[in-house]
Amino acid sequence: MGLLVNDRIVVVGPLVNMAAAGAANAAVVFALPAGQLRGTKSLRIHRVNLYNNAAGNTTVLIGNGVAGAFVALLPALDSFTGLFGAYGPETDLIDVESFATITAYPVALGVGTSIDIRLEVIVCG
Amino acid sequence: MPDLYIFKAQVGLVDPVALQGQNVCIHYMLKEYYRKVDFLEGIPPFQCLNIGALAALNTSGRTDITNLEMPDNEFGLFRWYPIDDAQIRLYHPSGMAKWQLRNLQVPLDMNIVNRDPNLVSTEIAVWEDNRPAVEAINGHAVALNAVRLIAIGYRFHTLDLESGTYANADLVKQLKSGALPCTHIWCSGRGIGG
Repeated sequence: MGLLVNDRIVVVGPLVNMAAAGAANAAVVFALPAGQLRGTKSLRIHRVNLYNNAAGNTTVLIGNGVAGAFVALLPALDSFTGLFGAYGPETDLIDVESFATITAYPVALGVGTSIDIRLEVIVCG
Repeated sequence: MPDLYIFKAQVGLVDPVALQGQNVCIHYMLKEYYRKVDFLEGIPPFQCLNIGALAALNTSGRTDITNLEMPDNEFGLFRWYPIDDAQIRLYHPSGMAKWQLRNLQVPLDMNIVNRDPNLVSTEIAVWEDNRPAVEAINGHAVALNAVRLIAIGYRFHTLDLESGTYANADLVKQLKSGALPCTHIWCSGRGIGG
């Protein structure tokens, strides 16, 4: 029957505009569900979409925490100026599991520019 | 009532072992309780326990699954599986190993959803507050952030046929003799040997 094999649901996070570079400015891109009656949830990153608003070629780091407490979940993802970037199973993105709210930041940004990011996450538990 | 037995491999995940008005015999350790079901309801899948973080190559302490306790006069029927990659040893009650073979206490892991998709072999019953307990074994060289268990099943409220308002000595006699049908439900493990 395999009734329980797909014991996960896919949830799309909010579209977040990252207008400041560096770990100190890491923005929440997917919040861990909280305040539930029962159960510990975890998040597996399934897809990452980036749009680089003429910010210059740079990389985006995705992890947990902010500033000195930031810990990356994935290697840096390329974001090329003026281009859309798509990462997912087709590009061998690892669905790394996180038990905390996911944050992200661009390593560098041109003045007055930004990068848009949106995550699709598999919520487990 | 040919369909009233435990460990059923039916279409769908889990069927009740007794219906409204049917008789059961609850076995807990060496005790037997003859009862009649007067209410039942399904319990949707839920996370019954998170043992918590578990270091690499480590075994957790034995942890009671208090969320599977039932109220007085009730028993629960549950099938369950882990969603984190640990092997789980079951005890029921906490001092009694379940799934005990002569040389191995068989553990349960995430592969159960592929190997036994209806979770038939995981079925346990819980009588009142006599809950089971588990230990988790992390065989990985990395730590696990959580070891979570999901359970699904039924809740049964029962009436006492051996004493009190609903006592019926004649009925119990017929149930014991096998003259009338009765579903036997094991709500604990059993020591090997003997």
